[in-house]
Amino acid sequence: MQPLLEGRGLVKRFGQVQALRGADFTVFPGEVVALIGDNGAGKSTLTKVLAGAARPDEGGILFEGAPVTLERPTDAQRLGIETVYQDLALAPDLDGAANLFLGRELLRRGLAGRLGVLDKAAMRRRAVDAFARLGVELQDIDAPIGTLSGGQRQSVAIARAVAWADKVVFMDEPTAALGVLQRGRVLDVVRKVRDAGTSVVLISHNMPEVLSVADRVEVLRLGQRVATFTAADTSVEELVGAMTGALDEGRAA
Amino acid sequence: MKMRRTTYAAAVTALSAIAAITGCSDDSDSGGGRKITFIQGVKGDEFYISMACGAQDKAKELGVKLDVTGADKWDASLQTPVVNAVAAKGPDAVLIAPTDTAALRQPEQQLKSRGAKVIEVDTKLDDDSIRETSISSDNEQGGALAARTLAQLMGDKGKVSAISVKPGISTTDARLKGFETEIKKHPGITYLGVQYNDDDPAKAASIVSSTLAANPDLGGIFAANVFSGEGAATGIEQTNKTGQLKLVAFDATPKQVEALRRGSIQGLIAQKPYDIGAKGVEQAVAALDKKQVPKSIATDLVAVTKDNVDQPDVSKYLYKGAC
Amino acid sequence: MSLGETTTDTGPGPGDDAAATTTSTAKSAGEAASSADVKDETVTAPDPRPDLSDTARRLARRLVRTNSAWTFLVLLVLMTAFSIMKPAHFPTTFNLRNVATDAAVLLIIGVGMTYVVITAGIDLSVGSVLVFSGVVAAKTMTGISDVDAGWGPILLGLLAGLAAGAAWGALNGFLVAKAKVPALIVTLGSLGMALGLAQVMTEGQDVRGVPTRLSDTIGNGRVLGVPWLVVIALLVTVLGALALATTRFGRRTYAIGSNAEAARRAGIPVELHLIKVYALCGLLAGLAGILSLARFTTTTIGGHTNDSLGAIAAVVLGGTSLFGGVGTIVGTLIGVFIPAILQNGFIILGVQPYWQSVAVGGVLIAAVYADQLRRRATQRA
Repeated sequence: MQPLLEGRGLVKRFGQVQALRGADFTVFPGEVVALIGDNGAGKSTLTKVLAGAARPDEGGILFEGAPVTLERPTDAQRLGIETVYQDLALAPDLDGAANLFLGRELLRRGLAGRLGVLDKAAMRRRAVDAFARLGVELQDIDAPIGTLSGGQRQSVAIARAVAWADKVVFMDEPTAALGVLQRGRVLDVVRKVRDAGTSVVLISHNMPEVLSVADRVEVLRLGQRVATFTAADTSVEELVGAMTGALDEGRAA
Repeated sequence: MKMRRTTYAAAVTALSAIAAITGCSDDSDSGGGRKITFIQGVKGDEFYISMACGAQDKAKELGVKLDVTGADKWDASLQTPVVNAVAAKGPDAVLIAPTDTAALRQPEQQLKSRGAKVIEVDTKLDDDSIRETSISSDNEQGGALAARTLAQLMGDKGKVSAISVKPGISTTDARLKGFETEIKKHPGITYLGVQYNDDDPAKAASIVSSTLAANPDLGGIFAANVFSGEGAATGIEQTNKTGQLKLVAFDATPKQVEALRRGSIQGLIAQKPYDIGAKGVEQAVAALDKKQVPKSIATDLVAVTKDNVDQPDVSKYLYKGAC
Repeated sequence: MSLGETTTDTGPGPGDDAAATTTSTAKSAGEAASSADVKDETVTAPDPRPDLSDTARRLARRLVRTNSAWTFLVLLVLMTAFSIMKPAHFPTTFNLRNVATDAAVLLIIGVGMTYVVITAGIDLSVGSVLVFSGVVAAKTMTGISDVDAGWGPILLGLLAGLAAGAAWGALNGFLVAKAKVPALIVTLGSLGMALGLAQVMTEGQDVRGVPTRLSDTIGNGRVLGVPWLVVIALLVTVLGALALATTRFGRRTYAIGSNAEAARRAGIPVELHLIKVYALCGLLAGLAGILSLARFTTTTIGGHTNDSLGAIAAVVLGGTSLFGGVGTIVGTLIGVFIPAILQNGFIILGVQPYWQSVAVGGVLIAAVYADQLRRRATQRA
C-alpha cells in the first residue's frame, strides 16, 4: 500500500542539540499510528516537521508518494493535515465557534461578505454540530474558551483539528489532561476519525492506550525510528523495551 | 448577586464622594450676587496663582463670587473643554488667559454669546472683538526697567547681551524692544545683541558660556523670561563668574527669588499678577455695571534686587504658591 | 475542509463513553496548567437544550459578560447626580453639545486605540501624530491656497493629513510586527519624532490661516443642530464598532491579542494584520488632527499633550484589557465620556480645579478595579 505521508531521513538541529538524526516515519491511509518514544526522543519535533510548523535541516517529506515542502502550517493544512498541539493553540478570549473557525472564518454571502462580515450564525451552528459529533459538552457555547476547564479546552482543540483534516490528524498527547470518561471519549473519537477514512497519528506515553486504539506503532529513540510494530502483535513490555533500547532488533512489522 | 452588591456599593460611594466634594464649595445659585469665573492659562503655576489671589481679594471686596479653574497644562485642546464647561455654568463675567491667540476664539465667542463679559488677562486673542478689555503687564516698560536695573548694577559701563525665547512672541519681543531702546541711552554700555534659546534652559546656559568665551569682559545679561533666566544663572555658575557678571531676569517665581538671595541672579523684573487679577475683577464688575471700560490696561512692573527683596512694598509682588 | 463547505464530517454521532482503556500515566512537563482541571472533567449530563436555544438568555449572558455594562452605570450615575445638583446648567442642550464636541477628537483616537490595545499593543504616539497630520494638512492648504481656499485645496489638505497619519501608524506597526520592537518603545520613539518633525516643518510656529470654509463647516458648523465634529466622531465610532464586532478583521484582531501564536498557527497573517491595525490607529489620529485643525483654526503644536494617555485611559475605562483579546468600542465611547462629564460637571459645580484631577484619576482606578472584581466573579460562575 502507498503511504499517505512519509518522512525520510529527517534531521533537525537546535543549536548544538540534534533533535532528529535521520528519522523516518510512515502514515498509511485510514490507520491510527502511534508515535511513541521516551522524553527527548524527538516526537514533538518530528510532529512539527511533518505538520509544517518546523523545517527539517535535511531529509524529505512525501505526501501520497510525491515530495512536498511544508514551509508553514498552512501548507500542511492545505494538504488536509491538522495538528492538535500539546500547548493548546487556542485563543482563550474567544468562544468555541470562533476558535473552531480561527483563520478560516465564514463570511456572509453577497456584499456583506465582500466587506468581510462574518456569518456568525452559520459558524455557531456548525460548531455545535462538530462538538456534538465528538461528544464534547460545553455548558455555554458562547463562553470564552478561557473560562472552560482544561479538558474542555482540549476537546475544543481536538474538535477543531478533526473538523478540518481530510487526511491526517496529529494529536500530541491528546488525553494527558483528561479525566477518565473524557479520555475514553477522545479515544473513541480517534477510532471514529479513522473509520471515516482520516489517518490519526497519536503521540502518547500511555502504552495501554496506544495498544487499545492504534493499528500500528512506530518507536522513536534518540531522533531515529528504531522499531515499528503491529499493535495487535505486540505488548507493553515490547514497546517499552524498544523505547528504552533494551530491544533493538524488534522489527515486527 | 455579588456583582450587583458591588455595583450598588460603588455607585453609592461615588455619589457620596461627589456630594462631599461639592459640599466644600459654597454654591449659591439663588443668591442675587454676581458670579465671575477665572480661567487660568495653566493651573498650579505661581504666576496664575498670584493672579487668582488678587482676583479673589478684589471679589470679596466688591461682593461678587469668584470661581477659579484651569487645565492641567498650557494646551489649547485642554483649555477648550474648561471654557465650554464655564459657558454652560453661565457666569456673569469671565477672566481668561487664553493659551492660544487663535484657537480659543470660538470658545470665547461662545462665552460672550451666552451673555458673559470676557476680560482677557495676561495673554490675549488676535481678535479683539470679543473682550471687554485686556489687562497685562507693560512688557516694553518692563524691558526698559530691566535695562535701567542692569545698568545701575554694572555702574553704567561694560558689555551686555540678551537672551530670549525665540522671535515672534509678542510678550518677549516687547520686553526686548523696551530693553534695547533703554540700554542705548546709557553711553557707557555696549549692547552685543540678543540670542535665542527656544525656551530651553540648557541652551541658555551654553549661550552664556560661549558668549563669555568670545567676550571675557562681558558685564551683564538680560534674560527675557523664566527659563532664559534659569539657564543663564546656571551658565554663569558653571563659568565661576557669579556676582562678577550681573544677571537681570524677568518674573519672580519662588525659585528665581531663591536664586536672587543666593546671588546667582542680581535683579528680577516682577510682573504684578496680583494686580492683574484684582484689576480684572474690577473691570468685570465695571463692565457689568455698564460703565465705560478701557480697551486695554497695562500694569507696571517692579525691579527686585537683593537690597529691596525683603521690603514689604516689593515682597508683596513676588509670585506665590498659595494665597 | 468539511466545515467550510458541507456538513458531512468525520465523526458519526456523539461519543458513548465507552471508556475502558484508561490506566493513566501522568504526562511529563508542559501539562501542569491543564492537569489541575482534571477533576472538573466529570461528564456534564447530556443537555436536552434545543438547537434554537433561548436567545434572550444568551443575550443576557452576553450582557453580563460585557465589560462596559458596569462603566455605563457609572456614567449614568454621574450624569444623574450632576443633573440633580445643577438642573439649570448641566443637563442642557448647550452643555451636552459642548461636552460631545470636546470629546469628539479623543473619541476618534480612542476608536483606533481600542483596536491596538485589543491586540495587546499600545500606541503612545497618537497625540503627536495628530499634531503632525494637522501640520501637514494645514501646510498643504495654506501652501496651495489661502484663507479663502475652495474645497479643492481643502480636500487635498485633508487627504495629505490622513495619509500622514496612516503612514506614521504603518511605520509603528511595521516596527512592532516585523522588527519585534516592543510597542511601548516604538510609539514612544515616534511620539518624539512626529512632534519634532512637526516643529521642524513649522519652525515651532503654529500654522495659521486655515481656510475659513473648513472651520465654518467641519470645525464649528452643525447638521440639524448637531456639530459636524460630533457627527463625524459618531460615524467613526459606529463603523469602528461594527468592524470590530462583526467582521473577519475584527475577529482576527481579538484572536491575535488573545493568543498571537494560536493565530499564527491558524494561518492568520499576524504581522500584516498588526501593521494594518496600527495604520488604522494612525489614520484615525490623522483624522482627529484634521478635526482639531478645523476647530481651532491653528495647528496647536504645543497642544494635545494629554491625548495619547487620555485615549488609553478611556479604552481601559471602557473595559478593554491591556493584556489583549478583550474589549469593545462601546466601552471606549463610555470611557471617553466619563472623564469629560466629570470635568465638566465639576467646573459647573465650581469645585476647586485640583479636586477635578483627583476625582478623574480616582474614578479611573475605581472603575477598572470594579471591573476586575466583576470579571473574577463571572469567571468563577
